[in-house]
Amino acid sequence: MHSISTMHSKQTKKLSLLWLQGMSCNGNAHSFLNYTHLEKLLDSFTVLYHPILASQYTLEEVLELQLSCDVLIVEGSYNSTMYRGGVLFDTFLKHYAKNAQTIIAAGSCATYGGIFYEKDPKNSSGMIFTKEQEGGVLSNYKEKIINLPGCPIHPQWLGYVLEMVAAKKTIALDNQYRPQELFSTLAHHGCTRNEYFEWKVDADDFGKKEGCLFYNQGCRAPMTHASCNKILWNEVSSKTRIGTPCFGCTEADFPRQNLFSTKTNMSIPQDVPLGVSKRAYLSIVGIAKTFHIERLEGKLIDYKKTN
Amino acid sequence: MITKKLIDQIEGEASLYFELENNKVSFSTISFGEFRGMEQILEQKPALDALVLTPRVCGICGHSHLLATVRALEDCYAQSGNPLTLSNKAQTIREVTLIMEHIQNHLKWIYFTILPSLANLDALPKQNNQLKGAYGASLCAKVIALFGGQWPHSSYMLPGGITSDFTNIELLQAKNILEELQIFVEKEVVGSELEDFLAFESCKDFNNLQSDVATIEKALLNLEMQKKGLAYDRFLVLGKHSFSLASKVLQTRVFQADAKYISIKESFSPHQKSYAKNALYKEKYYETGPLARAIAGNSKIIKNMHRRFKDSTYSRVMARVFEMASFVVTAKELLDKVDILEHSFISPKDINKISAKGVGVVEAPRGPLIHEVELEEGIIKNYNIVTPTQFNIGSDTTQNPTPAQKAMLGVSKEEASFIFKSFDVCSVCTTH
Amino acid sequence: MAKITKEKRKDGIIEASLKLFSQNGFYTTTIPDIAQKVGMSVGNFYNYFKSKDILAKELLIYISEYLGREIRAINEMDISTQEKIQKIVTMYFDVAQEKPEMIEYFLRVYLSNREVFNEGCEGVVCVSAFVTEMMLFFDDGVASGELRDQDFFSAFGLFMGYLGGMVFLHGEKILPISLEEYTDSIALNIYNALKTN
Repeated sequence: MHSISTMHSKQTKKLSLLWLQGMSCNGNAHSFLNYTHLEKLLDSFTVLYHPILASQYTLEEVLELQLSCDVLIVEGSYNSTMYRGGVLFDTFLKHYAKNAQTIIAAGSCATYGGIFYEKDPKNSSGMIFTKEQEGGVLSNYKEKIINLPGCPIHPQWLGYVLEMVAAKKTIALDNQYRPQELFSTLAHHGCTRNEYFEWKVDADDFGKKEGCLFYNQGCRAPMTHASCNKILWNEVSSKTRIGTPCFGCTEADFPRQNLFSTKTNMSIPQDVPLGVSKRAYLSIVGIAKTFHIERLEGKLIDYKKTN
Repeated sequence: MITKKLIDQIEGEASLYFELENNKVSFSTISFGEFRGMEQILEQKPALDALVLTPRVCGICGHSHLLATVRALEDCYAQSGNPLTLSNKAQTIREVTLIMEHIQNHLKWIYFTILPSLANLDALPKQNNQLKGAYGASLCAKVIALFGGQWPHSSYMLPGGITSDFTNIELLQAKNILEELQIFVEKEVVGSELEDFLAFESCKDFNNLQSDVATIEKALLNLEMQKKGLAYDRFLVLGKHSFSLASKVLQTRVFQADAKYISIKESFSPHQKSYAKNALYKEKYYETGPLARAIAGNSKIIKNMHRRFKDSTYSRVMARVFEMASFVVTAKELLDKVDILEHSFISPKDINKISAKGVGVVEAPRGPLIHEVELEEGIIKNYNIVTPTQFNIGSDTTQNPTPAQKAMLGVSKEEASFIFKSFDVCSVCTTH
Repeated sequence: MAKITKEKRKDGIIEASLKLFSQNGFYTTTIPDIAQKVGMSVGNFYNYFKSKDILAKELLIYISEYLGREIRAINEMDISTQEKIQKIVTMYFDVAQEKPEMIEYFLRVYLSNREVFNEGCEGVVCVSAFVTEMMLFFDDGVASGELRDQDFFSAFGLFMGYLGGMVFLHGEKILPISLEEYTDSIALNIYNALKTN
């Protein structure tokens, strides 16, 4: 009854959103389109420009640098020699960054430099970081930047940040300016192969349901901050659940090399789970490998059996 | 007098430089201004890393790049005398996920590119339905994720097969989502049951149709797009799939084709440096993509449209629409063929022992995508990518225009922009 | 005060058992033998170790932890891998000479009476402190580029089999000179066998 008119009178002005791209593949823009509540989310914003969605302005108009936005989303790595539509990226990035209230670095390229940093390291950077080093192009604005690494980002990660921003809620960030609610877990948490990891039953090859992918197949999940096995991809799945090793795409050193294999030094993994000392890890491995748990060593499903 | 038009929202941008005579385009050149250098990034990398890196050429067709990479690597095995075996299960699932990416691509193009562009030309009222494209696409992405872990950017294919050892649970879930997608396409996009829609024989069958697709069809006719956008009326299909064979088509005559006849030429773009290069087949320009596949294949309706309207924008647009619908049916049929009991992955020789050159060819949403790799003991010495947009949307001189340049002749600037976009341009792919 | 004495008493039992087991063999040595050597009643002995088998396993852990601590100290030194090998060989031969019963126990009791250790000391469970330190030594050596990457057990077998063999020969009084005098050549042989080309 009177609730509707109250709603109207309390209606606040929508935040304006602008999505710019540096050296990018557009993967984050497309990933975002998979967001389950996209329509409702977009209703809370005025989209000034997005590389795919209907926008209030064309890119040409955006590049005239007469506008400003509340929320700036940047996808892709920064390159000081890059132009779009004849305007230097450095120029239009800094123009919009200056007046934005919040800047979101969407994806690993924008956060750390990512894949496209590799082509031209001298002139490339992320917004705050260049790989692990601070000093990226927008370092001066770090108080208002939220980093969302990922290659690409999960749509729900960006949905979360935008909804928190729209609701004027504070997002707890870690020391790499990433939302703690998303990046305090590891990609390892929630993997369906967990028991194999616990008892060090290593997958002997690709293409099998059984076995942990950490020891041979290069899985970085125990060393990677992400929510992929907690907030499933496309609401149904994740890489490790279907047998692809995690490539550590949310971390500063992405892309590493030899992504499908684990670097060992005399059979000892070079990298062990985050925060666990090598000594502790090796002690546990030694003990776990001593005991053969029969249940974990066979095939999970016997398709010939039809009791 | 040269007019510049910046076209955006084409997986990046492109600048069109129009020469006009009596307000009609007499010539145009096309410039793609961004370059990321994926081929250089791949040099000296371990071979399998390409499976993670090349999909990042493009956010909308990354899966096609993944398949092209794995095919190129598998070709290296074959060329070095170590042919590997792929189970039918692995091949089928690779095909299914590829097709789902095509469907997703086409749906986005319909709702984010075609309908808004037609509205800009006042050929139909402004639509408010772009999120339909996102919704349909997200269903496709779900199906891919069930087998590939996620979309975009899965990397679930390796030389020897696929990583996922799925169960009937995932298979049934995929089929259920496909059903949902089909219902969505029937009700919300096409306005008819797919069985009927795919049995259309001529444009008359559109007369009683009421739907977004019907709206597009009428708008195209209102703009006389069946007479505009003509190119060379010659087509090229190179990827071998359940839905295509390598063939070139001159008007309607089909010939065999081979990727070895492709050559690359620098762009002619005098007004602005373009990082895209032109792709030719036997030194000539050919159109690639859904229209090419339809003409080379079995699409009765598209062949009929082509008979009347040649390679006009009308035929081009309708070909992509019909391909989207027919892929939904194809995906279902392929899933029904999957035998769970087969291996997902058959381990090949250690790739660090492989030194060879290999080529992988895939029909990506816009046409043939070619990856050439040279391996030396498992390390990439050389990597070369040719994307379909390089076939369709090159930029050459007035004497030898590319398909897109030819298609844009003789129409207004605004219509030319629409005709350009109707090719489904991928800026990031074309420069990579 | 009482607590410290209890620890010391335990250590006393350990040292005495090691000596007796090494000298007289596992089956010949009895609990009363050990209790007498330590100067306590058999009843009191059982307050420290519930059975001879349990004692046997605890001794293994004790030795493993002792050697593990020594190797850890060497691992944590800021020296080259070659120098670490030298120090490990030196330490091992020192123990063999100063506390022969430790290495003797390992060679003559553990390796020769597997049945005693089957339950409760499966695999590396009781020697994990020692094996882990050797793993860390090898991991560092390869990561720093000084050692060739290879299977862990290939390298471990070479290193430890070699050292154990030398101590065995020393124990049989076959070696013409002292064990200490072999340190340099042994260390060099190990380094040459394991280093990068």
